[in-house]
Amino acid sequence: MISLQGRAVSVVLQDPLTRSVWLLVDGETPTAPHDAQAYLLSEGGPTPEGFGLYVGKNGCCCRPPYASNFVELPGELDHVEPGDVLSLTREGTRIRVLWRHRSHQNSILLTERCNHYCLMCSQPPRQVDDDWLLDDAFELIRLLPNTTTSLGITGGEPTLYGARLLEFLTLCRNLLPRAAVHMLSNGRRFDDLDFATAYASIDNPNMMVGIPIYGSEPSLHDYVVQSRGAFDETIRGILNLAVLGQRVEIRVVLHKQTAPHLVEIAEFISRNLPFVDQVALMGLEMIGFARANMDDVWIDPIEYNDELTEAVTLLDRSKIRTMVYNHQLCLIDPGIWPFAIRSISDWKNEYHPECLNCSVIRDCGGFFFSAKYKMSESIRAIPAAGSRPAPALLTLG
Amino acid sequence: MSKFQAAAAYEPTEAAWELLPFRFEHFDEGRVLLTNMVGEHVFVTDDELVSVVDKALPATSPLVRQLRGKHIIRDAVEDLPLELLALKTRTRYRRLPEFTGLHIFVVSLRCEHSCPYCQVSRQSADKTRYDMSAETAQKALEMVFESPSQSIKIEFQGGEPLLNFPLVEEIVARAEELNAVYQRHLTFVIATNLALLDDAVLEFADAHDVYFSTSLDGPADLHNRNRPRSGGNSWELAVAGIRRIREALGIHRVSALMTTTEASLDRAKDIIDCYLEQGLSNIFLRSMSPYGFAVKTKSHAAYDVDRWLEFYREGLDYILELNERGVSVSEQYASIILKKMLTNEDPGFVDLTSPAGIGIGAVVYNYDGDVYASDEGRMLAEMGDTTFRLGNLHADSYRDIMLSDALLRPLEESFTLSAPMCGDCAFESYCGADPVRHQATTGDFLGRKPSSAFCRRNMAIFRLLLERYESDPKARSVFLDWANR
Amino acid sequence: MIAREVVLDGTAYSADAIQRAAYRFSDRLSLELVVDETVFRCVLNVETDDGQEADLVVSDFRKEVLDQVLRERIRNDTESVRNVILALAFSKTGLTSDEE
Repeated sequence: MISLQGRAVSVVLQDPLTRSVWLLVDGETPTAPHDAQAYLLSEGGPTPEGFGLYVGKNGCCCRPPYASNFVELPGELDHVEPGDVLSLTREGTRIRVLWRHRSHQNSILLTERCNHYCLMCSQPPRQVDDDWLLDDAFELIRLLPNTTTSLGITGGEPTLYGARLLEFLTLCRNLLPRAAVHMLSNGRRFDDLDFATAYASIDNPNMMVGIPIYGSEPSLHDYVVQSRGAFDETIRGILNLAVLGQRVEIRVVLHKQTAPHLVEIAEFISRNLPFVDQVALMGLEMIGFARANMDDVWIDPIEYNDELTEAVTLLDRSKIRTMVYNHQLCLIDPGIWPFAIRSISDWKNEYHPECLNCSVIRDCGGFFFSAKYKMSESIRAIPAAGSRPAPALLTLG
Repeated sequence: MSKFQAAAAYEPTEAAWELLPFRFEHFDEGRVLLTNMVGEHVFVTDDELVSVVDKALPATSPLVRQLRGKHIIRDAVEDLPLELLALKTRTRYRRLPEFTGLHIFVVSLRCEHSCPYCQVSRQSADKTRYDMSAETAQKALEMVFESPSQSIKIEFQGGEPLLNFPLVEEIVARAEELNAVYQRHLTFVIATNLALLDDAVLEFADAHDVYFSTSLDGPADLHNRNRPRSGGNSWELAVAGIRRIREALGIHRVSALMTTTEASLDRAKDIIDCYLEQGLSNIFLRSMSPYGFAVKTKSHAAYDVDRWLEFYREGLDYILELNERGVSVSEQYASIILKKMLTNEDPGFVDLTSPAGIGIGAVVYNYDGDVYASDEGRMLAEMGDTTFRLGNLHADSYRDIMLSDALLRPLEESFTLSAPMCGDCAFESYCGADPVRHQATTGDFLGRKPSSAFCRRNMAIFRLLLERYESDPKARSVFLDWANR
Repeated sequence: MIAREVVLDGTAYSADAIQRAAYRFSDRLSLELVVDETVFRCVLNVETDDGQEADLVVSDFRKEVLDQVLRERIRNDTESVRNVILALAFSKTGLTSDEE
């Protein structure tokens, strides 16, 4: 599990930092110093002058130039590299890693505010004024290479920002023309046709919104998201996006409340929303509210194996692109393996001792770090014909 | 501190259910089939049906969620189900404004086969009497492009169209000229027994993207018995023709249809195997035609709906078994019905649609200039009943023909939503109107459904498909695949 | 041909429901329907000479009448919402003469 935030071990500032978002560079990065770059010091390496911020890893004995700003990172942020983007508080004490240069699965948190309160939410909402997250995000986009190929946008509920969100998405399109932009949203704001039309006029064919649906009718969906009227607005939002030619992904998080009804949900999608670009069936992450509500949401995935197989078959034959995320291969029917995506973000995945002997470990996404709190009783290594050297094991906990 | 509300907080405050339009049929012991306005189905028990109609289902009942998701009931205050049903309904009828897409040209009645079940052909070398003239063809083409349809399919029939191949060539050329102006998506099909297929025809088909549709009744003994010609080699020529076309033009350029006779009824597996041997992976297990020579030669009299249904069941089960073994083969009639059952799309099959496909889906320009509402309507005329003759190309305008009583009356009277029994039938979304068949067998456009062979046959097939769909996940997967092609 | 009479309460059944049931059974029987004050007298002429078979047909007929009563309720209940749905479905496609 890779940590993406921490507190500085030591801070030496001449003045409060002039900005919060910094692109990390080092001697290998052939660019002239500019005021958004933070220089990553290394032992025995050069120490060029002129940077607005110098950063050192935990315990490094390197010294920044005289009268410069310096922050020493904590041990859990040892993984940072040049090309990464950091956000620091003006006093330099708290650090967030906004972007990992080597990752293919970066996502940007725009807000922790949300108008839903999902039973299994992995990012529990907070009613705080966190516009600064969106401010940081604007700055981030300006620092990324224009060859960036993918960008995830999450929350909370990003559409709460209204027009400012649309400005942000426009900036993404304009500065990162090659990026596939994937935004998660409950979709309700798109029920407002003016907003949906403005979203569509961003005209980014590489932009998709991922919208969860948790039932084939209001009572189940509204219960899971804890908001009356959610289902109606969400479906209407999706219909507006369809009329406007926008790309939509439907997400279904599979847990104790939703999995028993998965086939009904799949039938509903195939008959009422057949135009969607894809459907993602997601395994549960046991953090946030999912942990708090474990009794109401935990189910061993092996128990809904039939429903999952049935639903994937139905959607696939209905010519809807279907993906299964966050399920270990030993828990799903082999007929469904072609639909399973090795999807747990590389900063989150771990393996179980049983996996040591598994022939398909490389194809399997492994586990969320949070699986240590609760996992299936049915994890089993899948034997192969012929032997193969076992990969190194990461221990949990 | 739990800020989470229980499920009950998200159910309707009182179970104030309203019914959405739905229909029911008793299906089997303990099960009732419900279908909604667009043919989505769900099974309930007899008691549950009464509770639904009484609106007495408690909000906590698991059945409630299912019925709401299938748009059979709604909460009184919600509008979204109405909008979704409207969207789905509109999708189902989307083809109607397109109007006539299939235009059949009967270029000659002459034929060198003498199939007992044929309705129309003539054993004659008299070209002037039984061939379509160039003037008639020209008038027909003008009428073709009066249709607003963006997709136009011109199908050459007969008799045997290749006996008047020069006219086929001319019609294709004139159609392409006209289409330079009209800019439709234009396709051509020749319905032929392939006995007269030669290099000239193949080259022509290659140059103009022409498709072929042929008759293949099954293995040689069955086919040749059904389809005599001098030389007795109908099957050999058909099979050779199929192979030539597949190799010269591509496997999708030729399709085959079977005609079912008394002799076919025991041979379902043989027929299917024969199709597979010829590389054909789609077969249409057709019912027997009640028209024409079939009646004259009493080959129709022996035929019985239940016997045919045994044949169909055997064929379908064999096809499902083959699919399980990894052989991809589909049954066309089931595919058409399954598309109506499992999607909102219209398969565009003129013989099983309501309003009927006559005129709206297809129109026939006969060799003598007479215009018929369908191919079966033409066959009926050969038997002496000209009910479906809409007019003549040399005397009547497009408006005269398309707005004629001869077309509008059967359309209106056979419309299933307003027909007795059909209007209440849970299978109505899967079915269609066939005014020509009913006219031929009962003397009116509607028939009386309880004694209609058409109704009995179709209902049995609907039940069969639903039963397999519900009980067998493998069949379900295959059916979904067919429905979505 | 065997004739059987079935008496049905005029308040619980409608002539329409009875006639629809008779239509469904028209391959097996024909119906003479007489309104007698508060009841319907249905004389069923069943196409058989077997008494037991006739009983079965009559019993099925009674069940069918009950089904038709249910269907009548559904039809009446859903007629207006059906029209709303159809109006929604077709209002913008130009299939009706008054365009939006």
